[in-house]
Amino acid sequence: MTQARADRVIDGRDMEPPEPFVQTMEALDTIKPGQKVLLLLGREPIPLYRALELNGYSWQTERTAEGTVEVLMWHKQS
Amino acid sequence: MQALLSFDQSPPLDAPFRFFLTAPLFAILAGFFLLWSGPELFASRWTPAALALTHLIAAGFMLQAMLGALVQIMPVVAGANMGRPMRVARIVHAAITLGALLLVAAFLSFLPLLFKLSVVFLGAGLAIFVGCAAQALSGLASTSPTIQGLKYALVGLSVTVVLGVLLAGSLGWSLDFPLMQLSNIHLSWGFVAWGTVLLAAVGHVVVPMFQLTPAYPDWFSRRFSFSTLAVAALWTLAELCTWEVPSDLLGTALVAHAALFAGVTLHIQRRSKRARFDATQYYWRGAMISALAASAVWLLARTVTNVGEWPAWPLLCGILVLFGGFMSVIIGMLYKIVPFLLWLHLQNQGRGRMPAPNMKKIISERDMDHQMLAHLGSCTLLLLAVFWPAVFVYPAGIALMVANGWLMRNLLSALSVHRNHLLKIEQMIGNPAQ
Repeated sequence: MTQARADRVIDGRDMEPPEPFVQTMEALDTIKPGQKVLLLLGREPIPLYRALELNGYSWQTERTAEGTVEVLMWHKQS
Repeated sequence: MQALLSFDQSPPLDAPFRFFLTAPLFAILAGFFLLWSGPELFASRWTPAALALTHLIAAGFMLQAMLGALVQIMPVVAGANMGRPMRVARIVHAAITLGALLLVAAFLSFLPLLFKLSVVFLGAGLAIFVGCAAQALSGLASTSPTIQGLKYALVGLSVTVVLGVLLAGSLGWSLDFPLMQLSNIHLSWGFVAWGTVLLAAVGHVVVPMFQLTPAYPDWFSRRFSFSTLAVAALWTLAELCTWEVPSDLLGTALVAHAALFAGVTLHIQRRSKRARFDATQYYWRGAMISALAASAVWLLARTVTNVGEWPAWPLLCGILVLFGGFMSVIIGMLYKIVPFLLWLHLQNQGRGRMPAPNMKKIISERDMDHQMLAHLGSCTLLLLAVFWPAVFVYPAGIALMVANGWLMRNLLSALSVHRNHLLKIEQMIGNPAQ
C-alpha cells in the first residue's frame, strides 16, 4: 500500500549497513517537494529517524505482516 | 550527499572506544600470565592461576567489550539514551579496569585486602552501570526481543555481580559462604543469564543486519530471554536447597538454552544471502560451534563417569566457552561495530562536503582474516594445553598475545584512518573537526 505512494523505493533488506542509510539520504537529496522516498528494511532504523528530523524530513513507519519495516519519507514543507 | 547525518543518540566516540581498546590489553595480559604460571595452571579449575586467568578474560576482556558495546548499542538500536554517557563511561571504565586487576592480584596472593578492594571497585562500577542502563531502558516498552533481552541481560549481570561480590567478599572478610556452590551459580549466571542473553539480544539485530540472514524465528525471539532467566532462577533455587534431581534437570535445561541459541544462530547463518563469508561470519560460526562443543562436554561429564571424573573437563569446557565462544564472537562484532562507528563520525564531520571512506577500508579484510587465523591458532593451542599442559601452555600464551596484539593493531589502524580523514576534512572545510 505504501509502495504505491512513493516516487523512489529503496529495498534495503539485502544491504549491509550503512548502505541503506547512504542510499536513503542520497535519494532524499534528489527528490522534489511533494515527492516521497520509501525505504524497506528488516528492522526499525532508529538512527535514521533522528537524521531525518535534523535534516527537515517527515516520515511514517509501517510494519507489514511479513515483518518488513516500511519508512515513507518526504520534505517537511511539502 | 548534502544531508547532515548527525546521530545525536550516539554517545561521543570516546565512550565506547575506551572499553574496546582496553579489552585486548586484558587478553594480552592473559597471554603473559600463561607464560608466567606455566603448566601448573591446568592442574584444576580451582588453582589460583586458573581463577586469575578466567577473570582476566571474563571480568577483563569480556566485560570491557560488552559494556562498551552496550554504551553504544542501547541508544542506536533500542533508542535508550543513557544520561551523561561520557561521565558514566569514564567512571565505570576506570572502576572495572582497576577492579578486575585487583581481583586477579587477589587470586594470586590471597590477600584479603585485595579481595575487599576488588569488591569495592568492581561492585561500585557495575552498580553504577546497571543503574544508568536500567534508567535508560526503564521508559521503553519491551516491543522487540532486543529491548526485552537487554532488560533481562541487566538482571543477569546484576545477579552475577551480587554473587561475585559475595564470593570475593567472603574471601576478603573471612565469611562462611559455600564457596564452591556459589561459584557454580555465579559462573552459570555470568555465562548464560548475562552473557548469552545479552548476545542473543544484540544478535537479533546484528546477525540479520550484518550477515544478511533471515530474522531469528519468532518462537525463539519471543521466549528465549525470559525462559533463560526463569530456568536460571529455578535452577539456583534447586541448587541452594540441594534438591538433587530438580537441580540436575534444570541445570541441563539451562545449558540447553545456550546450546539452542548457538544452534538457531548456525541455522539462520546457513541461509545468509552473502556470497562469501567475511571474518565476522566466521567468528560467529566458530563461536557457536565452540558453544555447542562446550555444552556437549558438560553433558558428557554429567552422564559418562570417566569424563565426569577427569579433573580437566571443567578447564576444557571453560576454554571452549571463554576463548572459543565469547572471545570469538566479541572480536567478530568489534570488526563491524568499530568501522561503522568511525564511518558514522566521519560522515557527520564531513557535513556533506567530504564523504566518509568506504566502511570496508577502515579495517582491511586482509588484516581481519589474518588476525582471525591467529585467534584460531591460540584457541587450538589452549585446547591442546588442557591435554598436554607442559608442551602447549607456552605456545598457547604466545599465540594469545599475538592474536590480541594483532586485534589491538587492527583497532588502532582503524583509529588512524579516522584521524587522517578528520585532518583532510579540517583542511577542506577549514573548521575544527571535533
